Amino acid sequence: MNPEISSTQPATHVSHAPATILLVDDEPVSRLSMAARLKRMGLRVLEAGNGKEGLEILRRERPDLTILDWVMPEMDGPTVCELVRRDPAILSSQLILMTSHDQPEQIAEGLARGADDFLSKAASKQEILARVQSGLRTASLLQSIESARDQLRAKQEQMEDELLSAAGYMHSLLPRAGEVAPGIHMSWTYRPSLALGGDLFNCSRWDDRSIMFYILDASGHGVSPALRAASFATFLRAENLRHFVTANDPAAILAEANRHYPLTEEGYYFTVWIGSFDRTTHQLRYATAGHGGAVIQRRNGTIEWLTHAHLPLGFEPESTYELKTTQIEDGDRVILMSDGVYEAPAATGEVWGTERLAATLGALRSTALSDVLPAMMAEAERWHGASIFPDDAALLGLEFRI
Amino acid sequence: MQIKERPVPNAVILDLHGDLTYAHRDLFKAAVETLRQKGCRHMILNMAEVRFVDSSGLGLLALVSQNFKMNQGKVSMIRPQSYVREILGLANIPKLIPVFDNEQDALNGIAQAA
Repeated sequence: MNPEISSTQPATHVSHAPATILLVDDEPVSRLSMAARLKRMGLRVLEAGNGKEGLEILRRERPDLTILDWVMPEMDGPTVCELVRRDPAILSSQLILMTSHDQPEQIAEGLARGADDFLSKAASKQEILARVQSGLRTASLLQSIESARDQLRAKQEQMEDELLSAAGYMHSLLPRAGEVAPGIHMSWTYRPSLALGGDLFNCSRWDDRSIMFYILDASGHGVSPALRAASFATFLRAENLRHFVTANDPAAILAEANRHYPLTEEGYYFTVWIGSFDRTTHQLRYATAGHGGAVIQRRNGTIEWLTHAHLPLGFEPESTYELKTTQIEDGDRVILMSDGVYEAPAATGEVWGTERLAATLGALRSTALSDVLPAMMAEAERWHGASIFPDDAALLGLEFRI
Repeated sequence: MQIKERPVPNAVILDLHGDLTYAHRDLFKAAVETLRQKGCRHMILNMAEVRFVDSSGLGLLALVSQNFKMNQGKVSMIRPQSYVREILGLANIPKLIPVFDNEQDALNGIAQAA
């Protein structure tokens, strides 16, 4: 920087390079003399002879400050100001209009048409210096705001990418559709809400004799429920559970899970439904901790909800869970679902509800299971009026051909 | 959500007005904590003006119930609206926090259980 600008004056711009001033004046003598003054101040000066040329240079070079003469051929100063303010790419440019006399109407008009400040052609050296520095100060402030905004946008994009990646991981925890064991077909459909959610389900062989399947829901919003759900899903793996329970007993599994997953300090918890099907006895045993999304559709079309009221996991330390049983017949279907499915709200706020869901399921009795689940989801979507639900929506279906 | 404290003989009633949800968790927790620090032994949650309880709200109820029990206190609830009563029932909350139809029953109910 030129030593003429002393160290007692405040720094006027963000970058270490000298600031750039664009000088637009059709009068060669006054333009040259102003340019010389500005250069002596240690500033880099660009010049244009009329408004149109000035605007082109402004767009191209993005100077920190532009000083415009008022009356010019081709395009005058105030018109340049107007055009700058209309263009989103350059509208934050700092513009100083030069005036011949300090006429109040001129100032009002100049401001109205987009000027930031004024400089009389007869201004003293001190005044020129002061107004230029003031303009550069404002330019610097605006530049730092714009830079912060751009950084925020980049950060936001990065975070969204990371969320997508996390969602991809959650998806990888879901089971592969198909035959879980001889005669038992599994299908599923999953529609996560926009934000990362905390619903997970699985179905796997416990041993040669039985399969285990469950659906869980971590309360709360954001990334935290997803992390907790992933942790719980790991806990619910058969090879882990065998350290705690001897048999594929859903009630015992819940009691154990209850000990491992108390209420968090924020009051977060899980609801979960676990079922175990014995292939030799054809008995389905199940237990629930606050999760109401389990239904059986018999071959003859009868629909029965496999739920009862029970406290979610973590609500009561040392809780015991009720084990229920039912016999499975050939052709029966069991469907597990997130509450996000039957609680999908319409625009009025009314939820789709378990009755409408049961009616839809009833109408789909003779449809193949792999088509039933997407059809149910589509019906919930029709009710809701949009393809993304406010909550995760998962459907896991098992068909028994035994 | 607005919360008002109302002392009665042998208990304090929290009159809740609004939604017991994730958005209002800090307010609810603070109100309960105030009572707990004052040494309140019986907190009665008046749910008459609560329109909605979400999953976070259920967790909060369980949390405050557990905290009160740790201090030998008790929590009960009065006059939940029908939709809220249904949500509470599905989660079996009445097992943790007894539900009564009015203040007097709540006071009597706790006195009997003690």
